[in-house]
Amino acid sequence: MPEKPLAGSRLSRRTWLAAVLILVVIPATIVFGIVVLDDRKYYFISLLIVLYTMIPFALVFEKRKPQARELIVIAVLAAIAVAGRSAFFMLPQFKPVVAIVIIAGVSFGAEAGFLVGATAGFVSNFFFGQGPWTPWQMFCFGIIGFLAGILFQKGLLKKTKLSLCVFGGLSTFFVYGGIINAGSVTMFSSEFSWKTLAASYVSGFWFDIVHASATVLFLFVLARPMLEKLDRIKTKYGLIEPGGK
Amino acid sequence: MKDRFSSFHPIVNFVYFAAVLLFGMVFMHPILQTASLASALLYSIMLNGKKAVTFNVLYMLPLLLVTAVLNPLFNHAGVTILFYLKNGNPITLESIAYGVSAACMFVTVIIWFSCYNAVMTSDKFIYLFGKIMPALSLIFSMVLRFVPRYIAQLKVISNAQKCIGRDVSQGSILARARNGMTILSIMTTWALENAIETADSMKSRGYGLPGRTSFSLFRFDNRDKLVFLLMLGLIAVILTGAVLGENTMRFFPSIKVPDKSLLSFTVYMAYLGLGLLPVIINVLEEVKWKRIESRM
Repeated sequence: MPEKPLAGSRLSRRTWLAAVLILVVIPATIVFGIVVLDDRKYYFISLLIVLYTMIPFALVFEKRKPQARELIVIAVLAAIAVAGRSAFFMLPQFKPVVAIVIIAGVSFGAEAGFLVGATAGFVSNFFFGQGPWTPWQMFCFGIIGFLAGILFQKGLLKKTKLSLCVFGGLSTFFVYGGIINAGSVTMFSSEFSWKTLAASYVSGFWFDIVHASATVLFLFVLARPMLEKLDRIKTKYGLIEPGGK
Repeated sequence: MKDRFSSFHPIVNFVYFAAVLLFGMVFMHPILQTASLASALLYSIMLNGKKAVTFNVLYMLPLLLVTAVLNPLFNHAGVTILFYLKNGNPITLESIAYGVSAACMFVTVIIWFSCYNAVMTSDKFIYLFGKIMPALSLIFSMVLRFVPRYIAQLKVISNAQKCIGRDVSQGSILARARNGMTILSIMTTWALENAIETADSMKSRGYGLPGRTSFSLFRFDNRDKLVFLLMLGLIAVILTGAVLGENTMRFFPSIKVPDKSLLSFTVYMAYLGLGLLPVIINVLEEVKWKRIESRM
């Protein structure tokens, strides 16, 4: 199996692309929103920005021509997350997706974490219904997986239950809840004000608490056995360690 | 009734939905919004029948009302003050109008998405994006396939465990939970092992080699060409209207709708035509079919 390109060049290409998007395309979109669309289309503009943030990941992944094994491991993890979400569908916000995304990020690296999260968000909505919330969910799940991978690589996140649970709870509450609630403000009231934002955070509080505790619970139960299984598969079939170490 | 619009080339379906969703999100003009909402409703009922009616009445109507009420409570801009709230904040006509308009927009987009879900099946999506991002669309299609497969496999494992008295339906509550975890663990191991086998099988069958064809075959025939050109024409008219400022209205500080003219009328008709395109196609095809049938 050919080796992956070095982590350094991959990261720099993504950073370069992300920089172009952040510095050129996103401000251009915001200006377009203010000038052409009369500054009233937060919802549409924010949707575009969320989509932009996912483009570098997609482009870099496609450019790399990933191997079948790599593709399929990502697909399996995303499928487990989707199946898990549908298994608990009757309990609102009680979903294991974030837990599995974090495990994927820790085990297979930041990029795989992002892809598992974004794919799980996208595909699970084929079962639950697509809507304007899909890109937001994809982005939130993805970015949590990405963060998990980065923090693990930097040594800030350990493979221990405590460390994973703390990260899982905090990231679900602040990253997922923080972004999704802001997103729903742009969806429900096209008029942005700090008051609506605050109202959205207050009304979302209990949902986020349930979601965060579900993540902690799932990580507590699943983290060790899942990580062991993934490590075993990696050793048995010689899958490459994250970041091409 | 069978939906004929679904049988068109995926690019026609996709461009149509991209256009109606985009326009639905951007244009805030009472006539255009009504046209879009009406065509979305009509098409969703045509596609999903009774289910769509209950969905629209049970979920969309309350959503519309809540969103419409929410805006004036938080937004106090506008010059026509109707009355004051207890805390001294004014409720204005403009903010109510804006709330209704924004709520309409949101509901319209959701109903369009419900139509999108029915028409743009995942194989069409993969057909369209398989060329641009082959690896990611392969992942999508694999995940879609894996989910039902895992559920079936879960049943197999669960039945095997039942034979040795270790199913989730056996033992005390604690034992049941433990059995459930064991079953999930077996499942995960199986899924991972199976995945590697699938990957090796894909490799030996030439995955990633050049010159491979895709599974779903769609032909872009004359019928597609006609509808596609018609659709592009309508979109061009609507975009011309947008550039000339016909498609939006001003809410704050006071309500101002652009003047009616021949041009604005053309834009409204084009917008309605675009929204109703699948409905018109369905009706025409149905009429054609009935006529052929009656001649036999």
